[in-house]
Amino acid sequence: MQTERTLPRLFGIGLLALLCLAAWQWRSGPPVAASLLALLPSNQIDGEIRAAEQRIQEPLNRELLLLVGHRERREAIQLTQAIAGQLRKSQHFSAVQWSVRNDLSDLRQQLLAQRLALLPAAEKSLLINQPDEFVQRRSGELFDTFAGFSLVPLEQDWLGLTAKAQTTLNPHSNVQVDLGSGALLINDNAKTWVLVRAQSHGDAFDMQAPAKVAADVAKAREQAQAAGGQLLASGGVLYANAGQAQATQEISLLGGAAIVGLIALLLFAYRRTRVLLSLLPVAVALLAGTSACVLWFGQINALTLILGASLIGVAIDYPQHYLSKCWAQQQWQSWSAMRATLPGLTLSLATNLLGYVALAFTPFQALTQIAVFSAAGLIGAYLCAICLLPACFKGMQLQPGRSLLNLANGLLAARLWCIKKARWPMIIGVPLFCLGGIAQLHTQNDLRQWLGKEPELAAQAQRIAELTGQQPTSQFYLVRAADEQQLLARQAALSERLDALVSNNQLRGYRSLNQLILPDEQLDNLHKALQALPQHWQPLLDAGIAEAALNAEVEGLLHQPRPSLDEILEQTLAEPWRPLWMGKSASGVSGLVSLDGQTATALLEDAATGLEGVELVDRLGELNALFTETQISAATLKLISCAAIVVLLCIPFGLRGALRVVSLPLLAAITALACLGWLGQPLTLFSVFGLLLITAIGIDYAILMRESVGGEAVSLIGTLLSALTSWLSFGLLLFSSTPAIANFGLTVSLGLLFSFIYSPWATPGQPSAPSQSADINQARTQHAAS
Amino acid sequence: MSRFYLRVVCMLGCLLLTPLAQAFDLNDLSRQLGKHLVVRGPFVQEKHLRAMARPLTSRGLFVLAADTGLLWQLKTPIAQDYRINADGIAKRTANGWQVQPGNNAAAQQSRLFLALLRGDRTGLEADFTLQLEGTSDEWTLTLTPRALLLQQIFSHIEIQGATLVQRIELFETQGDRTLLKLPDSQASDALTAAERDAFAD
Repeated sequence: MQTERTLPRLFGIGLLALLCLAAWQWRSGPPVAASLLALLPSNQIDGEIRAAEQRIQEPLNRELLLLVGHRERREAIQLTQAIAGQLRKSQHFSAVQWSVRNDLSDLRQQLLAQRLALLPAAEKSLLINQPDEFVQRRSGELFDTFAGFSLVPLEQDWLGLTAKAQTTLNPHSNVQVDLGSGALLINDNAKTWVLVRAQSHGDAFDMQAPAKVAADVAKAREQAQAAGGQLLASGGVLYANAGQAQATQEISLLGGAAIVGLIALLLFAYRRTRVLLSLLPVAVALLAGTSACVLWFGQINALTLILGASLIGVAIDYPQHYLSKCWAQQQWQSWSAMRATLPGLTLSLATNLLGYVALAFTPFQALTQIAVFSAAGLIGAYLCAICLLPACFKGMQLQPGRSLLNLANGLLAARLWCIKKARWPMIIGVPLFCLGGIAQLHTQNDLRQWLGKEPELAAQAQRIAELTGQQPTSQFYLVRAADEQQLLARQAALSERLDALVSNNQLRGYRSLNQLILPDEQLDNLHKALQALPQHWQPLLDAGIAEAALNAEVEGLLHQPRPSLDEILEQTLAEPWRPLWMGKSASGVSGLVSLDGQTATALLEDAATGLEGVELVDRLGELNALFTETQISAATLKLISCAAIVVLLCIPFGLRGALRVVSLPLLAAITALACLGWLGQPLTLFSVFGLLLITAIGIDYAILMRESVGGEAVSLIGTLLSALTSWLSFGLLLFSSTPAIANFGLTVSLGLLFSFIYSPWATPGQPSAPSQSADINQARTQHAAS
Repeated sequence: MSRFYLRVVCMLGCLLLTPLAQAFDLNDLSRQLGKHLVVRGPFVQEKHLRAMARPLTSRGLFVLAADTGLLWQLKTPIAQDYRINADGIAKRTANGWQVQPGNNAAAQQSRLFLALLRGDRTGLEADFTLQLEGTSDEWTLTLTPRALLLQQIFSHIEIQGATLVQRIELFETQGDRTLLKLPDSQASDALTAAERDAFAD
């Protein structure tokens, strides 16, 4: 026939085009993104917050923090020098820093110029409110061997402001500068640690970067250990690498196991090696899905690949629709079997698409990507199954073993027996089981589920946080104002409240622009205090300091030039503050206040309440809340898509039939949900996703049974094979070490089991006695007549 | 960061200073200074500033114990006790000893100093070139910083002594200098009860 020749050719051309597209997309390495966080919703927040988040997040992602430790301080420094040299040589880092700059005169100048602004809050208030005490203390410091040390000579700074300003520059008390080498040192009881900061190159598209950086770190660790030292490392890039490595490993392991299982199953069922060609739609599905995602999103996420790989299970189902009919036909022919099952196949595709596409409307890019991946993959697999495969199977003689048919008949007989003998126990028992299970469900939505367990990395990060006393967080404040002055005033108001948290040990520290440059009001107050200070000089005069010198210093402070924020930020001393200034925009100016240490969100929110233009941005907290919201919206979308499927199925099956077909997978999903409850497993966004998937796949089985081409037992074999293949691919995700994915795998496994068990109820009317075999043409006419 | 810290550490480190070699060489000096378990005595600290006619002078007492650390008791014009040991530097307050936050080089430098006390001179030799002149009865040790950072703070440090260290003088790069005189130090074999208590808690 004409179509039997043109269809494979057309498909061949399409496949070739797809291969070309894929080859072009992969021309410069795999376009795979590893960061699971990249999949988080981004379309709900305004641009300024997003830009601010990038500012805060970027260094967290790019910065690598290393601590090189050794019992001997000198060894530690030498070792660090060698390791830093190696890292620089590797060319994988844009900067590697382990010692502070050598030029003190520049720092002295800047300290002198900024000493009023940099003064810690407590000192400012002492100067303003208790000038007597301030002068008294200063006079004490002059004689004290261990107090009042400063980089700046005494005669340039009689009031000792620069020494105090220095503490603002380096608030992290654990890290000290070694004056000999300039190294940043931390001492714990047993070791001296040298701090090394390295910035990996910020090229987000270079997928190889995390692996290279991790290899560099591993090499440095060996080097340290060989010298009797120790190396700790922490950084977003290391987590990215671990995630990437784990994803790759799981894809190859679980995917490989699935493929082996599938091949074994196919060979067992059909006893023909050529049947293995029915794996072809899987390849086409993965290719089409990946290409579509890269086309749509620019790249594909590792998580999409892992979850999307489970599409194998659905893609492989399509050929089963007609292959399994060989149990019904004496003379199985590929094209006629395909044509006989085409309506069912097409319905399956349409319902699957409706099920997946619903996911595209959740705000989670993760789910959107999976929807796009799956939709494209399914269409590819469907086309492959109807256009190419029948040509491949042409002339193939299928004489399958009868064991599966016997099994199916046995199962159907058992079902009939159950219905007859235990009708009421089932009608009462199943709902009770479901209610009992659902009552025990608890939801859990935590971003940490997205990340695999990396205890080794987490322990190092924890140790580094302990040693350095630094713990950068993703929480921060965004402060908006009309102009620079207003911004500084608003940040100063916020600083006052944060100072209270710091002094209560509820917050480790913070950085704010008003630490560098004073808002007018504060500066006026300080100026007034300085003008009144000469009345309190006596203790300093007693020490022998000339009154003229003191008065000259006050004069100097009062007439210091007042640089703009931009000018100050250019100075080297202001480097840590630079990312905090967001600059001018159409609506005014904005700046950030970054935080150090984990603090209860409620406390931080309290600190912002009532302050105009101040907003706490807590991405993690918001995300966890959003997870819950998404669950609800995803479930709602699913119900809507079910309604659409009912409408679609009304055409072939009528309203009653359509409702029956749709309600079975829903019931399977509910039972699976109940099982989660009984098993004590949490309900997460991912289990909800799994349940949604189950309703999509379950409808497949119901349609297969409803169509009943070739008889009930033959259709049950088809369903069984489909369910087994699906389970081989989805169910194996159970063994993923990422909690989110394992949870998904469990949910899908349970759902598949119940979908299979419930599927015979899709057959219209009273269950009939299982037929040994039926003629396929007869079955078709029956179907057409009904 | 801390000029004064380094200064003090160097001074005190030199009290028991450590070996290098010559006719009367650094090894001899190290042995000479290191044989005393406890050294105590008064100190006078003078800060000579270019901008001031007379120096800023403070006085007090010190106790140096080879195996425990240092007590530094400032008496006039202000009274303040310090203790330097393996935990870092602590200040005596109404509530007892309070370890000072190391937001300066204090803790680090005090550790360096204690390392010196224990005869571990690697730290000092890494940062300074040492030069010894004179005899065991009258010697001068000059420390010149090697590191660029240190050179911007000290031009050199001079230590003079006989059986014990008598005088330490730090010459700052910017022209000021600090002189620490230890005019009447006494060596001894044991701490007094009060001193032991001060080191203990």
